[in-house]
Amino acid sequence: MTARRLLTLAVLAVLLGAAGTAVWRSVGPRPETAHSIAEQLLCPTCQGESVAQSQSPMAAAMRDTIDQQLAAGRTPEQVRRFFLDRYGPGVLAEPSYHGLGLLLWLLPGLAVALVVGLVLRRRRRRSGDSLAEAPTEAPSARGRPARAWDAVAVAVIALVAAVAVASPHRGPDTQPAPAADRDTSLQALAQSLEDQGRYAEAAEVYRDVVTLRPDDRTRLKLAFALLRADRAREAATTAQQALHDSPGSTDALLILGLAQRASGSPAATATLRRFLKAAPKDPAAAEVRRLLGAT
Amino acid sequence: MSRGRILTALLAAAAVVALGVTLASGVGQASGDPAPTAAGPLTQARTGAAPALTGTTLTGAPFDPAALRGKVVLVNVWASWCDPCRQELPVLAAAQRRWSDRGLKVVGIDIRDNAESARAVLADLGVRDLPSIADPQGTTAVAWGARGVPESFVVDRSGQVRWWAHGAVDAAWLEQRVGPLLSS
Amino acid sequence: MTGGAGNIVLGAGLVAAVATTLLWSRVALLGVPARLARAATWATLAMAAAASGLLEAALIGHDLSVRYVAENGGRDVPLYYTVTSLWAALDGSLLLWLLILSGCAVVLGSRRADPLRPYAMAVVGVVTVFFFALTYFAANPFTEVSPVPADGPGPNPLLREHPAMGVHPPLLYAGYIGMVVPFAYGVAALLAGRTDRLSVGLMRRWTLAAWALLTAGITMGAWWSYAVLGWGGYWAWDPVENASLLPWLTATALLHTLAARRRTGALQSWTVALACGSFLLVLIGTFLTRSGAVASVHAFTASPLGPMLLGFVLISVAVVLGLLVWRSDRPEPTRPAPLLARESVMTGNAVLMVAMAAIVLTGTLFPLLVQAVQGDTATVGPGYFNRSAVPVALLVLLLMGVAPLLRADRPADPRRLGLPAAAGLGAAGVVGLLSRPGVPPLAAFALGAYVLTGLLQAAVRQRPSLRRSGWLLAHAGIAVVAIGVAASSAYTVSTERQLTVGETVIASDVTARLVQVDRTARRGEMSSRVRLELGGGANGRSEPALRYYPARDLTVSVPAIRSRISGDVYTTVLATTPDGTEATVRLAVNPLVGLVWLGGALTALGAATAAIRLPSRRRARVPAPDAAEPVGAA
Repeated sequence: MTARRLLTLAVLAVLLGAAGTAVWRSVGPRPETAHSIAEQLLCPTCQGESVAQSQSPMAAAMRDTIDQQLAAGRTPEQVRRFFLDRYGPGVLAEPSYHGLGLLLWLLPGLAVALVVGLVLRRRRRRSGDSLAEAPTEAPSARGRPARAWDAVAVAVIALVAAVAVASPHRGPDTQPAPAADRDTSLQALAQSLEDQGRYAEAAEVYRDVVTLRPDDRTRLKLAFALLRADRAREAATTAQQALHDSPGSTDALLILGLAQRASGSPAATATLRRFLKAAPKDPAAAEVRRLLGAT
Repeated sequence: MSRGRILTALLAAAAVVALGVTLASGVGQASGDPAPTAAGPLTQARTGAAPALTGTTLTGAPFDPAALRGKVVLVNVWASWCDPCRQELPVLAAAQRRWSDRGLKVVGIDIRDNAESARAVLADLGVRDLPSIADPQGTTAVAWGARGVPESFVVDRSGQVRWWAHGAVDAAWLEQRVGPLLSS
Repeated sequence: MTGGAGNIVLGAGLVAAVATTLLWSRVALLGVPARLARAATWATLAMAAAASGLLEAALIGHDLSVRYVAENGGRDVPLYYTVTSLWAALDGSLLLWLLILSGCAVVLGSRRADPLRPYAMAVVGVVTVFFFALTYFAANPFTEVSPVPADGPGPNPLLREHPAMGVHPPLLYAGYIGMVVPFAYGVAALLAGRTDRLSVGLMRRWTLAAWALLTAGITMGAWWSYAVLGWGGYWAWDPVENASLLPWLTATALLHTLAARRRTGALQSWTVALACGSFLLVLIGTFLTRSGAVASVHAFTASPLGPMLLGFVLISVAVVLGLLVWRSDRPEPTRPAPLLARESVMTGNAVLMVAMAAIVLTGTLFPLLVQAVQGDTATVGPGYFNRSAVPVALLVLLLMGVAPLLRADRPADPRRLGLPAAAGLGAAGVVGLLSRPGVPPLAAFALGAYVLTGLLQAAVRQRPSLRRSGWLLAHAGIAVVAIGVAASSAYTVSTERQLTVGETVIASDVTARLVQVDRTARRGEMSSRVRLELGGGANGRSEPALRYYPARDLTVSVPAIRSRISGDVYTTVLATTPDGTEATVRLAVNPLVGLVWLGGALTALGAATAAIRLPSRRRARVPAPDAAEPVGAA
């Protein structure tokens, strides 16, 4: 019996010793890493994401800055100071616990104090404010009050139905404003792709715009991007469609003609001549004349 | 009704009101703040000495900060992957051409970019005369306190930062913010 | 013409919901038979189902004259994601919400009557009326779009990256809405001024079921965040995540207080407060996330719902508080309980849960408070929550370890804690001597081992009944989650580098060599796929991608995850160059992160097991024979 007790005590001592050492080893402040600093900073362009999480280029730049500064031997405190000086207190992910920030500790404390107070009061009084089980006596009050109740209920239902029928939003909804915005940004994107010479990608974006909001001007841009992406046949079809919708468009004629020419269609010459006739002073006219002369 | 219950009722009412005020500020915020994008770039007056501009330019030559001494400097943070920057760069180049004899220098910081595509963009836009520091990691821009692209800082002749703009600037903005600094 | 039909159905649903409420109030107040009220409840469900069905049909049939389809449908979206786009945006998810809510009402209404049911049904009816009105007047998905667009942009790309999207929102909504039943019974108890055993048992089972669903929903949300958002973590104390955690915390407290009073059939007023609070927190969370009030990665954008939701939240809170104050003077003698008896420990647990909920709520609302008082913006990041909520969570674990020993009538025998305590100390010693994880993770490892040992001991000592094994499992799940969270927060290693093809990045024992960068442009999407060759402690390929969706101007970094026993190898691509020679890659090794999903699943499964077993009708009538049976709830 004593041997067993001794053994138990020894095991306990060893365990306590090991756990104590472990805690002692861990208690020291953890070395701050670049990642832990980045977690304490907010990415200035994102919504509530830390620099460590965000994938925005600016956040990546901030992570690199942290790395660089730590490598240059700055302390984490200096690094935080660096960001604070440049971006203001809004860059810190943890709010300051002064002033209004004290509430962050006070309010939960208050809530807990309230609950504990309630529980203790009940223990002390040995009586609680509980809702006891009671025999269920079904109230039976039929007759006049019941009829009055029914009348009011029917009136309420009728009122709700009337409001629902009369509510104003039954007409067609006219608010494609966000769609328009999106289109503009898409157009800008396509334009920039075109500027970079990524015509195929630009064409795909224009195609998205056209499907979202069919419009001849965009359709022409699509046709032109297709043409420049060496997809002359598709370009010709698209330009044909645009020309069909607005027969007076000289741009449509020009692109159609060029596309037909590029895809080797015999109709090219006729189309281009029609273009020259319709818009002899167009800046592209000289070039078209040269092309026609060459064939 | 006991005193305790009245007190509890009052406390409960106060809690409801506090909750209401707190939550309602969220409603106001949500409906009234769709980011003022329409009225040009977001602009702030700044103070303080300008951080150093060092490094190599996009052409590979070392950048000489001494050339900026005594000049009004417009530092523009940009990148080839940023669309609004493409609209802005020609405006900046025009300003530099127009005002260079009055002492304006425009310096770009090309952040987190591939030098080749950046040079291609400059060539495309016909603004190869804009000197830009290559900042592949973006650390120079961070040292200036940049939050995104495009962004511009205006530094006066004594080396103090005066203006900060987030978003593409236009000729009117330049006239209004940079013009007075040039004449002083 | 789907739009017109949808409008009619929604309007009819509104009227049916009003009728249901009035009919059930009639049953409650006048004691008339419930047949008519039940029929009206079915009619409400039919309308909600028809509305959801119509919108789903419009989505599948690409009827772009319907506003919701024009905004969220897309012809190039795969069928699965077309179906799930019913809940990809606010207005559609409200229909799903209505469907589940009226389904709950039907189930609740058709069960054997208990005295509180008519009142509870009337309360559920009021909530249904509100959500029908919200959908019909403020967020009607069926409004017609006048120039009909040829195609829509498709659902938010983040919501079509992962099949979990089909399951996560319905689970979470079902969990949220399930809380309406304890709420309704709580309000009913206050209104009627009495409770009974049948109602309390019903409340407990519904809470348990809702809690299981909520647990599953939250776990799946964490997994989705980890597998889609690409930042490498799963929990960021983001307002949307907090909104789902809040009712979970109070519902946990509710379950424990309900279990403590299960046999008496009496409810303490603060059990009622917890029951009402859980659903009120669901409403507040809905307000926060659905009205654009808080900045969050996954919040829906600003919408006209804000004021209506806010009004409903405030009225509900005021009504509940008013009722509580009104009923606060009904003294009822209770037996004093010894300190280590079941009731005391359960109360302690509930207090801790409430403390945690208070912390999370304060942290979530603080930015709004600052906005209201000072007009500034403020952010409360993970730092605050780690400092305040994590210690409380550790205390919860400490208390949880005592649970298997508890008896209702006499104090627990503390000597039985010997083995679990030894296991905890041992775990702390081993972990702490081999590495330096920091104090909170170390404590979590120790407490996890201590809780698991105690549960194992309890399972071995006494062959558990179904219900008891349910709660053993649920508690074990929580301990497993604690260990997983501690390990992944303490030992995750990540490196980020810009690589040229052929270069290598190293994190922990894993290397990744950049093999190739492919750039493709398809209709509606441009993507860069990066091929990485893994080496070191892992082998094989890893292909993270960066997708750009022009129609929504949104870039999504899709991570590639390779799970190993020792942890996940998690790669993301942050940027690529147009010429396809370079890519910025982040390589992370997240050890034991799988335990978080495993633990969440175990917890949900355990709670479901405990909820499934419905007590037989005979048993419900006969007073429970054995008061010494240990605690019976999750």
